[in-house]
Amino acid sequence: MERDLEQLNSALNSIKTLRSNVRRVFESVSNGLRADHGDEGKENKYILELQELLTTVNNDLRDVENSVANLTPPPGAFSLGSTTSLSQETTHERQALYGQLVNSYKWTDKIHEYSALAGNILSTNSFNKTYKTFSTTKRRKTQTSNHNVPSDVIENLITSINKLFPDVTITTNRPFVPNPVIQASLGRVLKASIAFKGLMIEWVVVKAHAESNDLWTESRYKVFKKVTENCHAAMCHFHSPMMPDLAVRSFMHWFHSYNILFSAPCKRCGNHLHNNLPPTWRDLRTLEPYHEECK
Amino acid sequence: MGVTILTQFPTENRTGPHTIDVLSKRIMALGALQQGQFLVDCETYTSVPQLGPQRTVHVLHNSEQPATVFSLLETGTKTIPLATDGLFDLLMMKMSSFYTSKKQTKAESKGPRYEIGDFCVKLGTVTVSSNFKGILVEVEYRPCVVPAMCWDLLKEFLQGFLGLSGPTNPPAYLQNRMQEIYSPIDTIHQYLEHFTIFRKSPGIGMRA
Ligand SMILES: [Zn+2]
Repeated sequence: MERDLEQLNSALNSIKTLRSNVRRVFESVSNGLRADHGDEGKENKYILELQELLTTVNNDLRDVENSVANLTPPPGAFSLGSTTSLSQETTHERQALYGQLVNSYKWTDKIHEYSALAGNILSTNSFNKTYKTFSTTKRRKTQTSNHNVPSDVIENLITSINKLFPDVTITTNRPFVPNPVIQASLGRVLKASIAFKGLMIEWVVVKAHAESNDLWTESRYKVFKKVTENCHAAMCHFHSPMMPDLAVRSFMHWFHSYNILFSAPCKRCGNHLHNNLPPTWRDLRTLEPYHEECK
Repeated sequence: MGVTILTQFPTENRTGPHTIDVLSKRIMALGALQQGQFLVDCETYTSVPQLGPQRTVHVLHNSEQPATVFSLLETGTKTIPLATDGLFDLLMMKMSSFYTSKKQTKAESKGPRYEIGDFCVKLGTVTVSSNFKGILVEVEYRPCVVPAMCWDLLKEFLQGFLGLSGPTNPPAYLQNRMQEIYSPIDTIHQYLEHFTIFRKSPGIGMRA
């Protein structure tokens, strides 16, 4: 297969060379005598040039014949399955479908290839520091798609985290049904917009209560910008494709520890302020508050 | 609008401008940037005897809320706050036959305004009818709206900046409102408390 492809490639290349050299012959013929042939014996010079070009074309033609002879003809017709019917389509609008089909085939093929590569790389360089291990049997059991789940599963997850903490109030809106965006307000301290992709947390923005709910602008306050940054770190840390609902619950547990964002001093230095910011980091296991510089 | 603490800074033997200079050097050294000036002023009106028991209206402006006129009506038994638009000033002029302003009582605090992290710091020179009375330092922590949650943090900031002159307890006005959501009228109340004390004080006698 690999060799076949190589030969096909070299055959195509020799055809390309042939065509380009034939073009040079025609160019020369159409230009006729040129100034650079000089005055003396210009006809002879021209004929020599033409002869040279034709020899090259001859050689190229031989190359093409050789490389074509090397090709192994495919055994029988290609089976295109039901896509063959597409080529018989007579309506004008649908004639483009075949091209699109081929493109999307190539696209999925590439995705397949890249995701396999990414999977390999990620499995050797785990950024996940969680302390859980999965036995293979368990893995087989829970192996489900978690970015494309029925909406009632997500609904259940959201209601369950809503019940988890009395001071976290959750309001939901769903611009795209399986990917809800929830607003989790944490007491009177802050609120977070959390975007889900299926059962996975995809984006978090933390802001003051008086600020807008949209996902794309960051808070105008330095403290909430820092908390947003740290939420992103925690979101990656808790991320677990095998147990997505546990990941969300762990994240919410961690997030809840910001209910004392302004009132808790740093565990390390004992102060409230460092660089005019309260402790914006929460330890991922103990949930204790630390300044970014003290963690 | 975040929780705001207003505190008096003793001038000791210094003049007003010198004290402001010392404080602004300190806050700049901490990394603050000056963002313009600020002004809070207060005019007090009293009702004429024909209206029955005497009532007092304090009308205040704060450059932080430039489109709002704050007024506090004291009936003797309670204080009624009111936040209105600029037309209220004209209304008070119309009512000058019922509410007259006491001469020599216009109080104001003005000076430079700084931003440092999420804090906003204002160094105010207080004058009552143009007589220098003292220095008021206002510190606002803008991300937080509940005084109880950020009082310790604000105290730490104030003490880091004002040293031993920093407050050790929340302002009297805030003490029984620590769990409530802070709003601009609360700052106005704090200014009025200080202005009232300054008006009664003999004054330092220097013209600012
Ligand atoms: Zn610290």
